[in-house]
Amino acid sequence: MATTVEPILDNTLDDPDHRSPLVLGDMDYADVTDKVCSIWEADKSPKVWWLVLIMAISMLMMLGGCIGHLLMKGVGVWGNNNPAYWGWPIVNFVFWVGIGHAGTLISAILFLFRQNWRTSINRAAEAMTIFAVICAGTFPGIHIGRVWVFYWLFPVPSEHLAMWPNFRSPLLWDVFAVSTYFTVSLLFWYMGMVPDIATYRDRAKSKIRKLVYGLLSLGWTGSARGWHRYEAAYVILAALATPLVLSVHTIVSFDFAVSQVPGWHTTIFPPYFVAGAIFSGFAMVVTLLVPARKIYGLQNLITIRHLENMNKIIMATGLMVGTAYGIEFFISWYSGVAPERFAFYNRAFGNYWWAYWIMVTCNVFIPQLFWFKFFRTNTIAMVVICIFVNVGMWFERFVITVTSLCRDFLPSSWHYFHPTEIDIMMFIGSFGLFTTLFLLFCRFLPIIAISEVKSILPIKGKDH
Amino acid sequence: MTEKQNQEMEDQKLLGLLAQFEDPVSLVHACNEARESGYNKIDAFSPFPVHGIDPALGIPRTILPFFVLIIGLTGCAVGLGMQYYANAGDWSDLFPGYNFMISGKPFFSLPANIPVTFEVVVLSSAIATFLGMWALNRLPRLANPLHRISRFKRVTNDKFFLLVETKDPKFSREETESQLNQWGASVIEEVHEDLTDQQLPSWLQLVGLMTALILLIPPVLIFRAEGMTNRKPRLHVIPDMDWQEKYKTQTLAPNLGDEKHPVFLFVDGRAMQEPIPGTIARGNLYTDSEYYRGIKSGTESFATLQSAGARTGLQDDASQDKSGQDKPDQDPTADEKPAEPAEPDWVTQFPPNVNVDQALLERGQQRFNIYCSACHGYAGNGDGLVNARAMALAASGQATWTTAKSLNDPEIIKNPVGRIFDTISNGRGTMGPYKSQIPVEDRWAIVAYVRALQGTGLQPVTVTQADEETVEK
Amino acid sequence: MHEVQPAKITSPVVSLKDNYVRLIPIALAVAAAGIGGALLLSLDMQRFSYAYLTCFCTLMSLCLGGLFFVIVMHLTRAGWSVTVRRIAEIIAMCTLPMFILYLPILIPLMMGSDEVYIWNVEGWSIHGDEAHKQEVLAEASYPPPIEELKAMYLNRWFFGGRMIAYFLIWGAMAWFFLGNSLKQDQTGDKNLTAKMQKHSTWIMIVFAGTLVFSSFDFEMSLSPFWFSTMWPVYFFAGSMLSALAAITLIAIWLQRTGRVTDEITVEHYHDLGKLMFSFVVFWGYIAFSQFMLIWYANIPEETFWYAWRINPNSAGVMTGWQWFSLVLLFGHLLIPLLALMARTVRRSKNFLLYAAIYLLIMHWIDHYWIVMPQYSEIVSHPTGPAAGLTFHFNALVDIPCAIGMAGVFVALFCLIARDRPLVPLKDPRLGEALAHHNP
Repeated sequence: MATTVEPILDNTLDDPDHRSPLVLGDMDYADVTDKVCSIWEADKSPKVWWLVLIMAISMLMMLGGCIGHLLMKGVGVWGNNNPAYWGWPIVNFVFWVGIGHAGTLISAILFLFRQNWRTSINRAAEAMTIFAVICAGTFPGIHIGRVWVFYWLFPVPSEHLAMWPNFRSPLLWDVFAVSTYFTVSLLFWYMGMVPDIATYRDRAKSKIRKLVYGLLSLGWTGSARGWHRYEAAYVILAALATPLVLSVHTIVSFDFAVSQVPGWHTTIFPPYFVAGAIFSGFAMVVTLLVPARKIYGLQNLITIRHLENMNKIIMATGLMVGTAYGIEFFISWYSGVAPERFAFYNRAFGNYWWAYWIMVTCNVFIPQLFWFKFFRTNTIAMVVICIFVNVGMWFERFVITVTSLCRDFLPSSWHYFHPTEIDIMMFIGSFGLFTTLFLLFCRFLPIIAISEVKSILPIKGKDH
Repeated sequence: MTEKQNQEMEDQKLLGLLAQFEDPVSLVHACNEARESGYNKIDAFSPFPVHGIDPALGIPRTILPFFVLIIGLTGCAVGLGMQYYANAGDWSDLFPGYNFMISGKPFFSLPANIPVTFEVVVLSSAIATFLGMWALNRLPRLANPLHRISRFKRVTNDKFFLLVETKDPKFSREETESQLNQWGASVIEEVHEDLTDQQLPSWLQLVGLMTALILLIPPVLIFRAEGMTNRKPRLHVIPDMDWQEKYKTQTLAPNLGDEKHPVFLFVDGRAMQEPIPGTIARGNLYTDSEYYRGIKSGTESFATLQSAGARTGLQDDASQDKSGQDKPDQDPTADEKPAEPAEPDWVTQFPPNVNVDQALLERGQQRFNIYCSACHGYAGNGDGLVNARAMALAASGQATWTTAKSLNDPEIIKNPVGRIFDTISNGRGTMGPYKSQIPVEDRWAIVAYVRALQGTGLQPVTVTQADEETVEK
Repeated sequence: MHEVQPAKITSPVVSLKDNYVRLIPIALAVAAAGIGGALLLSLDMQRFSYAYLTCFCTLMSLCLGGLFFVIVMHLTRAGWSVTVRRIAEIIAMCTLPMFILYLPILIPLMMGSDEVYIWNVEGWSIHGDEAHKQEVLAEASYPPPIEELKAMYLNRWFFGGRMIAYFLIWGAMAWFFLGNSLKQDQTGDKNLTAKMQKHSTWIMIVFAGTLVFSSFDFEMSLSPFWFSTMWPVYFFAGSMLSALAAITLIAIWLQRTGRVTDEITVEHYHDLGKLMFSFVVFWGYIAFSQFMLIWYANIPEETFWYAWRINPNSAGVMTGWQWFSLVLLFGHLLIPLLALMARTVRRSKNFLLYAAIYLLIMHWIDHYWIVMPQYSEIVSHPTGPAAGLTFHFNALVDIPCAIGMAGVFVALFCLIARDRPLVPLKDPRLGEALAHHNP
């Protein structure tokens, strides 16, 4: 039986001539099933779970209140105003969408690269993706002003209006990209979960659980033919999700980069936004999984090695983002174009210097601590660094959005942006929405891909 | 499992034999053996995809990728076609497209249409993958005899199974069992046909039907409402943009302080300020008096500018106050006010930069029919629909109304073109100013058309080449 | 799954043996004939320099792609790629001698020639005839011409210094990996792998930095008004794609001539095929994003670069460069995208051979499309803007030059490979690579 104490074997040491195990504690198939199902089968959730859930729900209610207020009063309750038409809502949108990139990245790209360590973390990361995209979708959704005609965003045939969306607008591309991303992530997540839901179904005791999980598992039997098509579908979905995940943040970056605003219009935005999204998404996965593995005793499944790998990716993408900052600065100087030069000088040394330097510190300097093994393998240290990373990534979007708009081509309309209380409460509230969904997921769905973890366990058989 | 259930199962048709294995290696081994012994109606079940089982069972590669490719290519065509249809085409009557002109780009500009096309391709392919996979697997399936075997519940945990169906030509109850034992099965169990639970319970069917009916109500109501007119004001659940918090032009701004310490938006209490005396707003310095005001250049005085109401920001406060108090459209006797100053020196010829030709007359006719005909009638003899209705109301004492002038009135005919232009621009008597709606060149076009109407004895005209000379006189 | 596999090299021949002695003179003869022929046939130093620079950049980016491949394989502790890594290591090692090949461009530059890099002369940014140029230069004008703003970076001494630094750094990196890998062939010391993995981290950062600035220097500065932050990524995408194609091509060539027959299996080709496919997509993604952003924003500082290559010239005549743009769209993106999509295709050695050759030709066309319109711009300039941009594709100059550069590459490869093993003999992960199997 698996133990819940910290594993003794250090699988972060990687000797070149053999691969370290990804699952510790000498677990066999039944141990993995029991361990993951124990979260769901427990009669009571841990106290921490309840505590955080209550906090999250109250934050969620605050978000609901703010949205209601916004609908009654109009978008003027936000700090957005000439010339900063896009304030916190777009910052929050890009922030959440960015976080929502890690899940599909882990499930799709790491799958295509045959990174087996993804199996312990992909389920939670995919769930996180979906919840983050829900949070992200909220902000532009209410930003449209008249929410009750949101369906005008989609090409709905209308006999009376003869109106269609403008397909050349990057904002409409966003609608397509984010809704496609949400749908595909949901399909991917659900499809990956069906065999595990079948496990829950077969272990369910109560009638309601039998019914609900029975319906959700679609009658899955684990037949070899079923698995064959399932794996083929998984590869195809991964191959589709990989360009999709790139396209989503690319299109989000187009929102800015197709314009002519200095600081927005720069061609490196697509890959730079994608790198930033992966960066913040992985940081969020680490932030969520470190407490989750502790609370549910999953140290043997989500090992230090998994966390260390994620930290390495965080450092790598952080360096990519840092390189992109550098290229932007160099090219703005090299271009010799006055507004370009001014925009970047203003970012670093203008009114918003504090935001810029928070961003650089959190995104470029602090992740450098991951060069040291201590910070890569110490759970508390990594959570602190990852929180800094997400603070930094929020500020990155703030810097891009606000500094450029507040110092546009027309000096007479230069302005200093002030968020309102509603802005702040909504942002905090979006964390409530995210956390609530994530906690419910932890309680009622398998947070580790049981069948995938089993497939990477060493095979024990008489012929072997 | 109780005796009774066991007995029931014995009576049911045998579907096959289910052998349990303890690890994937022995399962693959057994699959290979079974295939070699000539079995082909066999299937293996495992908690995770077992490496090497596809060749062992002889599973052919799935056609799913080709299916997805076809759907993806279709999605590409549909995505592009949709954008072309919506933004570049306006040839359909039922659901016409809508041509947006955005930053001078062509209506259909391929680079800008790539992102949406790409997303549609991915979306359609992903949905095709998802649904196609379940369809090929014949899932979802609500009842499966295998799920009635309690041992089989461990297939999603840690056990491995091999099913040999009775349909297999090689199947024989005893021999197969002994072979399975030989290949390493730890337990062998019979699978029987599942006769119960084949149908949904009737109460569930009833509930489903009721739910469907209830769900139908909203769309039916919406469909019904589509074809109806309703005189009631619409519900304002959410105060939309109908009531905005703003001050309207020419109103008093409320006191934001208290009685003793009044706080106004501006010191004079108005919501909107006059232009600063002696200044002219950017773009409003109209120096060509003949063209912009219909007054011979050099003759316009400050007074004439005032009377012409050419609000260029040159008026003093006193005259403005007066015009602010007198609302001409409520006071039909406004033109009898003694304050009327001397007539300015109107131009009698069209200004040199107004080229009176057929195009101008056609433009004038069109604008006249839009702006003027409501009161003055299409022929200009003062019998427009608004006039007719107002006269009817005036006759029954419900309104006061000054008849719209017939343009054939000799008084009017003798007016120089400059004065007609001024009337259109600034209004006269009951008639309001049209300066803000009609651009200068269109006003001159209307003047030209009015002249043409007067020349034809007030028949709606077909503008011809010959008329140009008539007007030019 | 992660058991230690007994690693055994079973191929009878794992090196070029003595054949390189024969191959090098042949390759050098081809190189001399091709490049010399191009020079003679063009009879114009400037035209030749541009053709030469095109081929140089094509090959340079290929070698840098090889270097990146080696670094990233160590960085990710990859097991599958061990058997093809030596080929990449040798390609990476070619970066250092590439410096000699750059000298025909660099020496005239240092001597003050502005034939290739037009920023190398005072007054380059002033439009108009010589008299006008002198007039502008004589008066103290404000704002300063753009060249003064850029002079700190675009001047011949700094440029030359940077070039020397790049090549030294690349050479050192390549030798670090090749040298240690060769040492491991002798000793089988697994600590060498650990060492290379450890140092691949910061080496990657340095590599990224040099790649960024060298991509600006080699090609972006040809058109010194123009700038694009995406440029290094675009350069990198093509570079990695061509390196993968070259690795595939060389592997197939080695196996067809009876070397390393057992170690490189269809699984490795499958993986290389997948990577080629993904870099075709990546190249398309980057190329499209760069084009899209510039096309959409439509600001004069940037758009002219694409306008040269797509639009009619100022006289309203299509220049011919638009055909190159279309060839890139279809030939570099759409055709390989569809062709490499199927699994069976990626597992066919025959097909991959053609695909690799095809992609290398496309890579050359890509660089041709980048470099040569700048030449067209320069030579059409003296005749006045009304004449407009022209088209300068001369098969008799460009194709011999490309063939010659291919000869140079073969010679360099053989020179470095000599009789060294073409697979790492005692890499600790060799067993994993040999047992590698695609699901």
